[in-house]
Formats: sequence, C-alpha cells, structure tokens
Amino acid sequence: MPKTVEMPYVEKYRPKSLKEMALSTARVSGQRVKLEEELSDFIKNFFIERKRVNNENAKIREHNKTVIEKEQKEYIQIASEKAAVLLEGPPGIGKTSIVFALANDLNMEVIETNASDTRTRATLEKRLKETSKSRGIMDFITESKEKIILIDEVDGIYGVQDRGAVPTIIDLVQNTQFPIIMCSNEYKTSLQPLYNKIRRFEVQSLPKREVLKIAHNILKKENITQLKEEDLELIIDKNNGDLRGVINDIQGISQGKVEGDVKEFILSLRRDSLEEIFTLIRDLFKVSSLREARNLTDKSDVDYNFLYKWVNENLPTFIKTNRELVNAYENLSLADEIFGRIRINQYWDLLPYFFDLFAGGVALSRKETPEAKGFRRVVFPRYTTGSYFSITGTQKELVEKLNKKYEISQIDVIQNLLPFLKILCGSSRKHLKNISDWLELDAKQKKLLK
Amino acid sequence: MTEEIPIWRIKYYPKNLDQICGRTEIKKALKNIIAEKNFPHLLFIGAEGIGKTTLATLFSKEFLGTEFGANFKLVYANVPLSEEERKQARTEAYISTSKIGSTAGRRITTPAFIQIKVKPFAQLKALGTAPFKILVIKNFEVLGSNQQGFRRLMEIYGSNCRMILITTKISSVIDPIISRCQIFLIPRVRFEHFGNLMNTIADNESLEFSDESIEMLYKLSEGRIFQAIDILQLSSVTGNKIDKTVLYENAQRFQNDLIRSLLLISLKGDFPKSRELARKILSKYKYTIHELFKFLLNEINKLPLSRYVRSEMINLIADADFRALDGRDSDIQISALLSKFCLFSQYL
Repeated sequence: MPKTVEMPYVEKYRPKSLKEMALSTARVSGQRVKLEEELSDFIKNFFIERKRVNNENAKIREHNKTVIEKEQKEYIQIASEKAAVLLEGPPGIGKTSIVFALANDLNMEVIETNASDTRTRATLEKRLKETSKSRGIMDFITESKEKIILIDEVDGIYGVQDRGAVPTIIDLVQNTQFPIIMCSNEYKTSLQPLYNKIRRFEVQSLPKREVLKIAHNILKKENITQLKEEDLELIIDKNNGDLRGVINDIQGISQGKVEGDVKEFILSLRRDSLEEIFTLIRDLFKVSSLREARNLTDKSDVDYNFLYKWVNENLPTFIKTNRELVNAYENLSLADEIFGRIRINQYWDLLPYFFDLFAGGVALSRKETPEAKGFRRVVFPRYTTGSYFSITGTQKELVEKLNKKYEISQIDVIQNLLPFLKILCGSSRKHLKNISDWLELDAKQKKLLK
Repeated sequence: MTEEIPIWRIKYYPKNLDQICGRTEIKKALKNIIAEKNFPHLLFIGAEGIGKTTLATLFSKEFLGTEFGANFKLVYANVPLSEEERKQARTEAYISTSKIGSTAGRRITTPAFIQIKVKPFAQLKALGTAPFKILVIKNFEVLGSNQQGFRRLMEIYGSNCRMILITTKISSVIDPIISRCQIFLIPRVRFEHFGNLMNTIADNESLEFSDESIEMLYKLSEGRIFQAIDILQLSSVTGNKIDKTVLYENAQRFQNDLIRSLLLISLKGDFPKSRELARKILSKYKYTIHELFKFLLNEINKLPLSRYVRSEMINLIADADFRALDGRDSDIQISALLSKFCLFSQYL
C-alpha cells in the first residue's frame, strides 16, 4: 500500500465487508445471538414490512377518497421494534463498523449522525426526517440505493445543545421509511422512553484471539517490527476487548518512534478522559491488592476531586451485600472526611491516606460479591450539592409573589409554608381559590399548591 | 380591612412592637433603646420559630420610623448564593499590593456572602435623618468560619450600620462576635399570653374551643406561634368546633412521611432504594445534611425500638453527622449511614 496520506489506522482498516470483520456476539434478553445474522435479518424484514405497510396505506388512501370524513380509516405504521434497533456495548468493539460493513455488503447507503453534530430537534429533523419519510422522485426513476440511518453515540445526547432530541428520535422511529440502527455505550435514564420501544442488543467484547489476528494483520501490512509478541499481548490485555484502542495504540507506538522501554510506554497510553474514567472504575473493582489499586490511581490522570464521587455513585453496582457495603462506605466516608480536612487546613501530607482509603479500601471491601463478569454499566455521579439546592422557575415565581406581601426566605417557603399550603388547599377548594386569588397566581403556579 | 388575607399566619402577623404576643421584659428593653436613639450590635438567641425575626423586624421598623424602607435589610445566611452572585464575588476580588509577607501579590478574596450581601449595604451612608442603618442577619450560625470576616466589619462600619444577628445556637457563634454584641435571650412565649392570642383569633374567626384544647395546641406547637396558627387554620376547615382530637389529627398531618419511610426502607436492608429516597428528600425540601440527620434522630425516637437498638442507631447518626462536618461530599456521608442501617436490619 503506498503511503501517500497519513490516515488513522482505525479508518484505514475499517472493514469493508462482513467477511473481514472480527464478529462479536450479542445478547438479547439474556440469549446469545450472532449479531451480523440478526442485523441482516432485521434489515430484510424491515423492507418486507415496509412494502406491506405501504400497500395497505395505498389501499386506505383509495378507501378514504371515496367515503365521508367520519368513516375514514387511519394510516398504519411500521411497528417500532421492527423499525429500529439499539446496539449497546463498550467502546471500540465494532458497533459502528458492522453497520458500515453490512451496508456495503447489501449495497446500501448509510446516513450517519453522531455526537459531533449538534442534535437539536431542528437539526435532526432537517438531516434525518426528510430522508426517512419520503423517497425522492429520482428514487423511483433511477434504481437508487436504499438507505440505513445510523444514529451513533445516542448516549451522547444530553445538555442544552441537544434539547428535544429524544422525542424527535422516537417520532422518527415511528414514521421512518428506512431501517434505523442506534449505537450507545452506556445506559441512560433519559433515554428510557426510547428503550421501551425498540429492541436492544447487548454487544459483547471481542474475544482475544480475534483481536490478536487483526493486530497481526496490521503489523504485517504496515511493516512494524519494534513490537514484540508479549508487548502486543500487553496492549490487548490493557484495552480489554477494545479493538479500536488496540489499533490506536499500535499506531501510536509505531509512528511515535518509541525508544527504550516499550512496556512503560504502553502502560502510559491514554484513551480520552471519559472513557478512561469508565475503564478505571471497572478496573478498580477488580483489583486484588492494595498495590494494584494504588497503581491504578497513580497512573491515572483523572481529577481526584471528582474520582471519588464516581466511586461513590457506582459502588452499589459492583458491591452487593450489605456487610461489604458497610466496610466500603466506612472507608469512603473516612476518605471524604480526610479530604475535607486537607482542603480546610491544607494538610496535604494526608493525601496518601485519602487515596488508599477511597480506592484500595473500597475495592478490597468486595469479598463475597463475585467479580463483575461481562459489561457493567458505569454511571455519572448524579448528586452534586450545588444543583440540588437551586430553586426551580415556578417555585421561584411563587416565592417572589409571596415576598411582595410577606417577607419570608426561599428556604422557609419550601420547608415550612409550602407543605402547609398544600395540606390546606388539599382539604378545601375554597382555600385554594382564595389563596390563588390573593396572590394572583397563574395556572402553573397554582399546580404547586395542589 | 379592604382585603381578606386567606393565610392566617400572615393575617395575624403583628403590625408593631406592642402587638407582639408576650415577652414583656424584652419589649420594655427594646422600647428603652428606641427612646435613647442608640444601641450596640445585637445578638438574638432563641429556639427555632418563636419569633426572633419578627421581633427584630418590628423593632427596626419602630426605631427607624419613616426611614425604615431605605435603611433596613434582612438577609438570610442559609439561602445559598446563586451562580451569578458567586461570579460577581469572584470578579470583585483584588490583587494585594503588598510586597512582603505571605500576602504579597496574592489574590485577596472575601467570602462571597459578605462581599455580595453585607458589604454593599454596610458601606453606603445611612439615608435621610436616620442615625444609622440596621442589617438583620438570620441563621447567623450557618456562616461557620465565614463569621471571622465579620470581626473587623462590625468595627469599621459599626458607626454607619448596626447589625442584629439572629441565631438558634450560641455555641456555633464564635467568641469575638459574641463579645461585640449585646445579647438578648428570647424566651418561648408564656402560656397565658399564648392563650390570649389564640382567644383573639378564635373570636375573630368565630371558633369555639376550650382552655383544654389551647393547652393541647401549646404542647403540639411547642410554643411556636406560626405553627400553632397553621394547625388552627387547618382544623377550622372541618368545622368551627375545635377539640383536642381535631387538633391532634391535624398536627399529625404536618409530620413528614418521607423521613419515616426512609428509615423503614433502610431498615429493610434495601440500600440502593434508600439512597435514592434520601436524595429525593434532600432535593425536594432543600435540607442541609445536618437537618436531615436531625430529622432522622427525631424519627428514631418515635419508632418502637428496643433501648439497645435505639442507642446504637443514635450512635451511628452522631458519627455520620460528625464526619459530615469536615467532609466535602454530603452524599457519601448519608450513603455511609444508610448502608450501616441496612446491615443493622439483620439484627432486628
């Protein structure tokens, strides 16, 4: 292969066909299935279903032309579990690749949107809905390609920028003319309405021998000689089934012209920070000695101000019995107390205790719960003190209206006055009316009192 | 009266110092101050909800007379600052011009609360003919180590602005502040004054009730006038005749069920669920972690537990509360406590 353009190996070796791929297995409600078979079945079935639905709808349209408005029938839709699937699994195991390879094999086009696009309602509609709803006029004349819609990194939808995206996707699933495939790393509660509607495949990590085969192939093609067999295994072990990570590491080492100890270098390679936290948390609960835990926290760049909150949030996922939980929390709460003292009095000498307690102390409290097998979800720390104490819009308006008549603090209203008013208004409608008239409340604020 | 006020606690809110129920000695002392037209910084100490703020506000109103609106301010130390206010405080920090010592070239920041809420008011000259401004700070003990910032503040701006600090816990106010203030211990309202007030309300609202039920009301509300009026209004919904059982039933409705169910769920041993509920309570009522621990303590005293179990549980709460004082993440501390409760369930 001529070395004209420097491309990331990940893109260069992205499989063109299913035959080149390291195929991963998946789970659907506990059962093992072959992902590639399920997906191609899904796509074939979708087009059969679409044909049926469109024929039915054509009949209904004819029927509706002839009868009065009352007797008109409603158009039918493709059932949402037949219109869309969700692939869920750890990063870098080929979720996106399998879609592209499949499309290539079936001679179809992929329309993709991912986390790098802003996904507000408007942009999503512009990009996807028009393609998904109708086939252009040209499609009927020329034998144009069918399309697959790929919504990558669905779990990356959050925040203000992506407002309204989830309802749009649900709407899209119900009205689509093309099969939709979504990919995601983590479970997210905000996506729950979506999960209820579609089929979910839990994609498993790649087996080691498959990864090794592909890595050897790349080494041969790129003429990389400085990596020994044991180094390669180290890379693969470290990435834990993440093929993309392995390929990136290989590129990093071969092009970085590493001198000296390759092993040290491999251990210091980083994925991006969020992914790193996820793997760090998973690894932390697998350690068997304090030294290992210490190694993990020492080598990691993750901000420790933040890391122990992640440990707190995900502790019940990895540690199940109450006895172990108590031990873990005993250590974690002591760590928190020590950290507080460090920050107040600047006793930075105490920092090692903090690290050992929240990492090793917590992880080694796991004695009875078996080691996590398979893919465990790691979630963001949801509790942050700041945001929990802010008052929402409607409540604030109510407090302001009250304050015009009667001086009282926000906290007092929420803790004392509002519960009282709720009980009072709950027991008599007359009071509700009087109070809302007196304060000139609108319907939304009135709801607070009910 | 032009408009009927539907909430009784606002309707019967006293209009001036004389209307405040009971507390004759304190009112007399405050009246003397008003006659003299001068007073030092004041520190009001008393139990929760017995009318310290009402007293301070009405006193200032009478002291300042017509200049009240411009020269009086009431701030709440326990209301957290908004994001904009914090940002503003950060921008107002200045860089030290000193060339020696540990402060050389350092960024000097004052606590955000003082910077935003206290200083701007205290620095400006008193308006009109008023001798000085009055600043009332509620829940002063919440400020913790930020109280240090008040030491010089009270001296420098003392001639321009007098402060009335209100607190429930004298032990958490630092000594230098106490020594700068005249202390007023505000007692609970006495039963006979309480009875008089309740009888006036009963006459106004044409309610019937006996001396016995007044006694009951006094006990239920623990002398807190606002709460007594709330219970009374709630009881009046069902009818004009108010006896002990009606009062008792209505007072029970004020109990917070969520705290009890938090205890029960954790004593069943379900940790994830109880943590979820604790977070819900904290976010709904905006309690601080210490308040939540206090409520848990009250609830434990009501549950039918053996003496040993109760003392063990109180021990656990005390330990958690103590750690939360220094800790930075309150969620960890409450989770730690709940996990201990969950384990405890095995021995019940």
